[in-house]
Amino acid sequence: MAPTSSSVPYSIDPRAREMIQGAKVLVVGAGGIGCEVLKNLALSGFQDIEIIDLDTIDVSNLNRQFLFRKEHVGKPKAVVARQSILANNPDVKIKAYHDSVLSSDYGVNFFKRFNLVLNALDNRTARNHVNRMCLAADIPLIESGTSGYSGQVELIKKGVTQCYECQPKPPQKTFPGCTIRNTPSEPVHCIVWAKHLFNQLFGEDDPDQDVSPDTEDPEAKSEGENSLTESGNVKRVSTRQWIQEIGYDAEKLFNKFFMDDINYLLSMENLWKKRTPPKPLSWDNALQLVAEKNEENENTVRTRDMEVWSIAKCAQVFANNVSILRKELGSKPFLVWDKDDQPAMDLVTACANIRAYIFSIPQTSKFQVKSIAGNIIPAIATANAMIAGLVVLYAFRLLIQEYEKCPSIYLRQKSIHSKFILAPDRQLSKANPACYVCSEKPFVNVFVDVDKTTVKEFENEVLKKHLNMVAPDVILDGKGVMVISSEEGEMEVNNDKTLAELGILDGSILKCDDFLQNYELTVAVNQHVAVDKDEPPFKIIANLEDLKAKEIENGKENGDNKEPESDENDLMFVEEGFEDPQEGSSRKRRKLDSDSDDDIVEVQM
Amino acid sequence: MTDKQLSAQEAELYDRQIRLWGIESQERLRASNVLLIGVRGLGSEIAKNILLSGINSLIILDDGIVTEEEQHVNFLINRESIGKKIAEEVLIKAQALNPLVKLTADTSDPSTKDAKFFEKFTIVVATRIKVDLLLKINRICRSSNVKLIFGDVLGSFGYSVSDFLVHDYCEDQLKLAGKKRAYDGSAAKPENETVRVKSQIVFPELNKVLILPNTKQSVEHIKKVKRRNEYFFLMLILLDFRNRQNRNPEVSHKEKDIAVLQNIKAEVLDLYGVDHNKLDDSIFELVFGEVVPVCAVLGGVIAQEIIKGVSKKEVPLNNVFLFDPVRYCGKEETIA
Repeated sequence: MAPTSSSVPYSIDPRAREMIQGAKVLVVGAGGIGCEVLKNLALSGFQDIEIIDLDTIDVSNLNRQFLFRKEHVGKPKAVVARQSILANNPDVKIKAYHDSVLSSDYGVNFFKRFNLVLNALDNRTARNHVNRMCLAADIPLIESGTSGYSGQVELIKKGVTQCYECQPKPPQKTFPGCTIRNTPSEPVHCIVWAKHLFNQLFGEDDPDQDVSPDTEDPEAKSEGENSLTESGNVKRVSTRQWIQEIGYDAEKLFNKFFMDDINYLLSMENLWKKRTPPKPLSWDNALQLVAEKNEENENTVRTRDMEVWSIAKCAQVFANNVSILRKELGSKPFLVWDKDDQPAMDLVTACANIRAYIFSIPQTSKFQVKSIAGNIIPAIATANAMIAGLVVLYAFRLLIQEYEKCPSIYLRQKSIHSKFILAPDRQLSKANPACYVCSEKPFVNVFVDVDKTTVKEFENEVLKKHLNMVAPDVILDGKGVMVISSEEGEMEVNNDKTLAELGILDGSILKCDDFLQNYELTVAVNQHVAVDKDEPPFKIIANLEDLKAKEIENGKENGDNKEPESDENDLMFVEEGFEDPQEGSSRKRRKLDSDSDDDIVEVQM
Repeated sequence: MTDKQLSAQEAELYDRQIRLWGIESQERLRASNVLLIGVRGLGSEIAKNILLSGINSLIILDDGIVTEEEQHVNFLINRESIGKKIAEEVLIKAQALNPLVKLTADTSDPSTKDAKFFEKFTIVVATRIKVDLLLKINRICRSSNVKLIFGDVLGSFGYSVSDFLVHDYCEDQLKLAGKKRAYDGSAAKPENETVRVKSQIVFPELNKVLILPNTKQSVEHIKKVKRRNEYFFLMLILLDFRNRQNRNPEVSHKEKDIAVLQNIKAEVLDLYGVDHNKLDDSIFELVFGEVVPVCAVLGGVIAQEIIKGVSKKEVPLNNVFLFDPVRYCGKEETIA
């Protein structure tokens, strides 16, 4: 049967009605918002849709990602979403890619084929990338996200609105190594440590995830002492080897991590002058710390997941799961920690709680540990439905270039203080002229220790992780020397050299080019040595003057559009230890319409 | 599912929402029995969202037949359903959304249902019914302590009206801790504390909220508040249209229907003493059919209110929600 035009909604702009059936739309992400967006598009008469998603379906998706059912668990989201849509709307042309949108297969020309791109993503890296691709292709992009009861929808159009990267996002929370290894004070520190312990026992070797005491902790040193031993770690070389030698003997492991290492920490007396010292705990003593009630008999969801385990139970869970995971490891090179893998999750819960007990930190239930360790952002069907509805309502308007009618809309949880559930901004958000992505000549200052930082670290940590490039080529300006190449095998000789060794010093200018993103960025290098142990190793600042401006203009609202919103451009990036929200855009909120002055609404047709 | 405790399977399935509203809310949802009247564009969205949330049972009551137009706005049915009873046709797809919920269809006329029928539900959700039937159901629900929420999508416009009776609820409020100083002089991390606050809202009966012309009822309590959201009046106009015409405005009678709407508008605005310019006639262009993405928005809002209503967690909308068909602003309007 031929498609009928009556599937196009009637009560929208008649010009948009005519465009819908010929429009080509890309949906990036087939998760909570993506499923809803696909359904809305298909039921609104869109005939040509493409969907890309890297992910496979998990049980915990099924409470909201309604195109998937239990029998689909483990299958690719994009493929199943397409099948589900086709089952109801066989006439829609829909193409699915089970792939990463970051792949070089999806270049600027791929994006140029679409009238519209709708983001339904769950992480910042992909959002940044699609933002750049749509700027380069000059295709309007609708960015959206939810987190619990809240969410937002935002139009991004080159030359019309701000881009996704115009306003810096709050840096993701991380913790200094010595807090994790020596002086935890919150449950989260113990949970991070427990994840590192998992990796120490079963995971891939990562020197940044050492769990033993850190003797290089500046706080631990006596005055005047400044030892520069090659490594601050106790028994660093042999930990994994030793673990294998003792055959993953749970009791020996327990006594090392929870007794011997703690005794060592106690010997670093400076640490405990103003802190409660930890209490070393032996395997035998741990088994005495039983709960008042019998934990064995109660095996409901509440007792297993919602209540805090006794230390004796933690010790037993530790031993049981070390043995389970050792079998799982078998002859594999390593295991990857996964919050949905029961033994891995149980082990982390047990270890985090034993450590918390030792350091007199409140203990936490498995349910809570999972939230923190897995960085789980709650997600509900209703918020996704509302946001996805708004995304497609805006899609209608973008087909006829009514950009000015698409200011950002915020979904907010109802509170007694506010009557707004859906609050649109009064106008479009203007681009930040100093944005290092969408401005005419993207420019950024990077503060880095040129004597310590290797080229590889600079490429991975600064250019890829923080400046979100995918495959950068870098040339040292003035000398014309190629430093980093996106071609494999071209520049690897430079990897382990420091920046200074290649002549990259304070004041150097680097021309960075990402061919895939069609993005050229000028980086000014500033020598910077982190002093404080809590200080991040790099700083990235778009505009140096903003630093001064920030102090002066502190009280000023950034609502007027003639001046750049200069008080938000300084960025402090720290190492990312956590992923972005599930389907949450963690963008900073702009000022919302106030409640009181919005009673009069003009009806514009 | 007589067991009050959540099974491990349910805990896994509902994990992401339990992390938001807590296990007590989930257990209340699991014990709740919901009636949905009307499963068209908006109704299908509401059904999806509350089935996914994990209620105990859902009865879908709709005596309609699937038309081609209906099929375009409802993802729970396909072409093969045309000409068949809609409540029965949605069952297979609706059940697949969540096999744990007891789901049944009822193809009888809602106006034939007696008090006994309604009293077994935790909450009744009504769409597409006339105001007199709504008020009758409201009276029955009130006498059996059953909550009620009513809503519609007309074109790009949508609304909901709630009567949650005397509604006790709790709310987790984040108490921001002031900056504490550790005794070594360094700033300690302030720890935010979550406190559970209990509150109550007393909802008015809907006959005090939805007052149409020619009912000889006093509207003084509504007039008292100046600067009412103009879409409150649009809602009343559309409800009065449905009362008089026995249907919603239809594209096939567009000009005639707009003329009727203009007449009703004059009566409604006069009744409430509101200037006729407050609501531009051009808005009537936007009330035809059901715009699917608007159904998605209203279906999300109404389902969230149902979840709040039965879980007694978080502040519910008190008591009217209005979706601006032009700016897409969604706002609460309180008629007390």
